Amino acid sequence: MTTFYRRLPRFDYVQPTSLDEALSLLGRYKADAKPLAGGTDLIPQVKGRDMAAPRVVVDLKAIPGLDAITYDATKGLTLGAMATIANVERSVLVREHYPMLSNALTTMASPQVRNRATVTGNICTAVPSADSAPTLLVLEAVLKLVSQKGERLVPITQFFTGPRQTVLTYDELITEIRIPSPPPKSRGVYLKLSPRKSMDLAVVGVAAFVVRDGETCKDVRIALGAVAPTPIREARAESALLGKKLTDESIEEAASAASSECRPIDDHRAAREYRCDMVYVLTRRALTQIKEEAL
Amino acid sequence: MDYAVIGTRVPRVDAREKVTGTAKYAADYSLPGMLWCKVLRSPVVHAKILNIDTSKAERLPGVKAVITAKDFGGWTWGFMATTRDEPPLAMGKVRYLHEGIAGVAAIDEEVAEAATELIKVDYEELPGVFDPEEAMKPGAPVIHDYRPNNVSVEYHWNYGDVEKAFAESYIVREDRFSTGRVTKGYLEPPASLAYYDPSGSITVWAAKQSPYFHYRHLAACFRLPLSKVRVVQPYIGGGFGGTKNDSVAGDFCAVMASKKTGKPVKFIYSQEEELMTSKRRHAMITYSKMGATKDGLLTAVQAKVIAEGGGYTAIGPLSMYLAGASIAIPYKLANFKYDGYRVFTNNPVCAAMRGHGITHTRFAHDLQMEMIAEELGIDFMEMRLRNAIDNPKPGTVYRTVNDVTLNTCGMKEALTAIKEDPIWAEREHAPKRVGSTSFGVGISGTAYVGGARQLGHQSCAAVIRLCEDGTANLLTGATDCGQGSDTVLCMIAAEELGMKLDDVVIKRVDTAYTPCDPGSYGSRVTLLAGQATQIAAAEVRKQLAEAAAKTWNAKPEEIQIRNSVVSLKSNPDKSMTLENLAKIASYSGSGAVIMGKGYSSYGLEPLDFKTGAGNGGTSYSFTAQATRLGVDLETGHTTVTDFLLAHDCGRPLNPIGAEGQNEGGAVQGLGQAIYEEFIIDQGHTRNSTFLDYKMPRSTDIPDIRIIDIITDDPNGPYGAKEASEGSHVSAPPSVMSAIHDATGIWFKEQPVTPEKIVKALKEAGKWGK
Ligand SMILES: Cc1cc2nc3c(=O)[nH]c(=O)nc-3n(C[C@H](O)[C@H](O)[C@H](O)COP(=O)(O)OP(=O)(O)OC[C@H]3O[C@@H](n4cnc5c(N)ncnc54)[C@H](O)[C@@H]3O)c2cc1C
Repeated sequence: MTTFYRRLPRFDYVQPTSLDEALSLLGRYKADAKPLAGGTDLIPQVKGRDMAAPRVVVDLKAIPGLDAITYDATKGLTLGAMATIANVERSVLVREHYPMLSNALTTMASPQVRNRATVTGNICTAVPSADSAPTLLVLEAVLKLVSQKGERLVPITQFFTGPRQTVLTYDELITEIRIPSPPPKSRGVYLKLSPRKSMDLAVVGVAAFVVRDGETCKDVRIALGAVAPTPIREARAESALLGKKLTDESIEEAASAASSECRPIDDHRAAREYRCDMVYVLTRRALTQIKEEAL
Repeated sequence: MDYAVIGTRVPRVDAREKVTGTAKYAADYSLPGMLWCKVLRSPVVHAKILNIDTSKAERLPGVKAVITAKDFGGWTWGFMATTRDEPPLAMGKVRYLHEGIAGVAAIDEEVAEAATELIKVDYEELPGVFDPEEAMKPGAPVIHDYRPNNVSVEYHWNYGDVEKAFAESYIVREDRFSTGRVTKGYLEPPASLAYYDPSGSITVWAAKQSPYFHYRHLAACFRLPLSKVRVVQPYIGGGFGGTKNDSVAGDFCAVMASKKTGKPVKFIYSQEEELMTSKRRHAMITYSKMGATKDGLLTAVQAKVIAEGGGYTAIGPLSMYLAGASIAIPYKLANFKYDGYRVFTNNPVCAAMRGHGITHTRFAHDLQMEMIAEELGIDFMEMRLRNAIDNPKPGTVYRTVNDVTLNTCGMKEALTAIKEDPIWAEREHAPKRVGSTSFGVGISGTAYVGGARQLGHQSCAAVIRLCEDGTANLLTGATDCGQGSDTVLCMIAAEELGMKLDDVVIKRVDTAYTPCDPGSYGSRVTLLAGQATQIAAAEVRKQLAEAAAKTWNAKPEEIQIRNSVVSLKSNPDKSMTLENLAKIASYSGSGAVIMGKGYSSYGLEPLDFKTGAGNGGTSYSFTAQATRLGVDLETGHTTVTDFLLAHDCGRPLNPIGAEGQNEGGAVQGLGQAIYEEFIIDQGHTRNSTFLDYKMPRSTDIPDIRIIDIITDDPNGPYGAKEASEGSHVSAPPSVMSAIHDATGIWFKEQPVTPEKIVKALKEAGKWGK
């Protein structure tokens, strides 16, 4: 960089008042358009010239109903794309049925940023350290993607394709994040490691989710943030525990598997070896916490 | 002592403006017809500049001026006549990444930004050197021709006989310590509005903590008499040394563009621009050899200090002086040798920051003393108490081998206060281990210079104008850059005048009207501007007392003024309001205009950079600090739970202000100890924003308690010494000592990040154990 910009580049700003209108704008401008939710990722990136300036910014905030948070015992939780992190975090429904999601969101940024930012924006930016991603991965969220041509449902496990890359096409929007009801006897935990206690990025994030049948683990889901090009599910660690009891030994085995499988980058935020070590520590802690929580 | 205002807990005089958002900072100023200035910066770290083609930028509609180095006619500036090596914009050569290359002034900031991209610069890249020890080796790329060995500052001092002392020592240790590249982290980046008016005078509204440096730089650069340079002080959003004591590329470009166009020109740096281009603290490597007797008494210290200086010298000669001059305080030491080298590299420029120079060597020596104590089996507190300098008896002076003179020294008293506090006294009863967290308590005992001096202008001044309604205006050239000096100066004026604090109003610095001042650095404002204010106020009070005495047919000594009421000592029934007296004094007879002026006189002792002898300031503060923290032996995370500081600032004149400074200093020291550092790879800073440059936040800081040690130094108003930097110096060694207590490992390199802790625990076979 040779100029430190203080000004945003020029772009057109439109605020559609219906989903159709928004989709038709995206359909028309394609790669030249960018949807805007809270703007806490988009605006700093555009200002810092980290991404090419869009020609048109399509603000989703005036589309009615897009911020709804609803829960139904059979369908589960539905987060409208414009539901802010603060509203999801504080929702009584979320706290009651998905405490791990609420807790994961509380680790993010600051109250001010959470008041503005959306969960959808967090996963659309698709950085490896996105704090909502590991939790959504273990809760097996499904995303509703809509364009003028139609809609499709994409499991979040298939959503991320690389750093800052997803299956979203230019003319598509996420309108909903659907999270199935957690099975009975399930427990989940998200642990985030960052140098500071608040307003910081994850050096490693670990989400663990276990469904038990009696003492044995009948379903195990472990997801990791910040240790691969995308947030990932960690199959080897999961299978290390499946069908077993949660004991110090089985937990140890799963944590070691998670750590040996991960392929983080070595950068100024942390060395690869440290990140792998921390995957071990955090996976063990998360599973131990689950073990110790009463069902 | 019976003070009416001094020592009371009062709100800051600028609290209302700042809290309600009405305080105006440099970036808030604008003038009609104003242009915006933007600096184009170098994308390479070390290169010859072959050509700069500005023609395209000049043709962009809206662009009014483009500035390059040649506009400044080869002018350079620097701390000493022999080190003026820094040009406003890179001149012929680039020495660090993002050095300023050209400035553009345009009708708005967007056009100015766009125009910078149209300037074409041809560079011939040169090999760079980034490590100071590499840069000192023969054959390393040469950064400045006038320093072919890349050493920008070099001192060799020798006191006593270290060789003999080491030979006679019971124990001698050698260790390598290092401190990181850290920044100030103020909220307000550099900004200024500049106007070179048709009469040929410069006026700037600039974010400067020491505006009179800037005033001198502008006069020299634009070849104007000082009387034609006016720096108006807005409110300042933090300083902490370095950048805001200095001038930046944007300052010179904005004034030059104003001169060329006849229009006012404004610039504001982005926070990233500030982080990447402004002056940061030196990173220093200290090779230290320390000897002691069997009883732990220090015999000798030999320190070789290598500082990374970056591309220019800046204030480096003072940094290296301070790093060496403080070696013989706060512990008795008869022999020391200091070899200081400040070395050019192709990294961004390093300069002063809170705790200037002293933080590096005190960190090394305080820690090394503990290591020796550990080897000798001496308690760390006992080790410090045995070596600490005693408080000289009133009227006597303690003199170090290098002629640092102490009139007061509260080191032992401060250490004792910590020793008796439960944090230290009952440390064995506090939990040692909870889950994977191991707790530890550490201490430090350090010194810092206050009322700092440089070579050149030293004195602060104040003028007090009595208003006829019994209120007063205080004018001084000393800047409140956030540290609270306006409040303490008003308190001093109110105390001396017998006036209510609210009735003293201080004006912001304006070099056209306020008396000249060295600047707000080196913890000097309360001491020196404070003394000047005290003298000015006494002069006003004398005139008032004379007027009252005349009215009451009494002697001036019999007049008492307190809380804006005037009375006769012998007959308190005889009284009037200060307003009344002010009217009598101003109106009776031929009338009078009552003013007082004063300038400071402390600190006249000799000072020699070449030998390291003498005082770099008027007096010295002493700080003992205890830290309690927990280290997670699995993740390496350190959570600091408690800081206790016993600080000898002579006497806290403004107790809330002194507490705030002690707390702020200790937290900034904590940042440097375990969180903060620029990570630089081949001259490229990898963590260029506050996202990745980790300053601790409010959620990371411990409970902080402060104990004031009162020593009443004769070289400060009301006994005051410094209170704003000592705690910055005491924090890192205290934190390292506590980490050692928690982990059993000595960490000698700042910052001690979680990753470094895990690495060390693994090496020691203790990870997760
Ligand atoms: C100070 C600060 C601290 C932060 N701390 C954290 C942290 O701790 N953890 C963390 O994970 N992140 C953090 N972030 C990043 C950011 O706040 C989050 O990623 C946030 O969730 C982004 O949401 P948003 O609504 O602001 O997204 P926006 O910036 O509005 O959008 C982000 C991206 O998603 C696209 N997009 C948005 N909505 C849709 C949609 N409905 N359909 C398709 N595309 C869409 C946009 O076009 C854009 O590319 C931080 C950011 C800041 C500024």
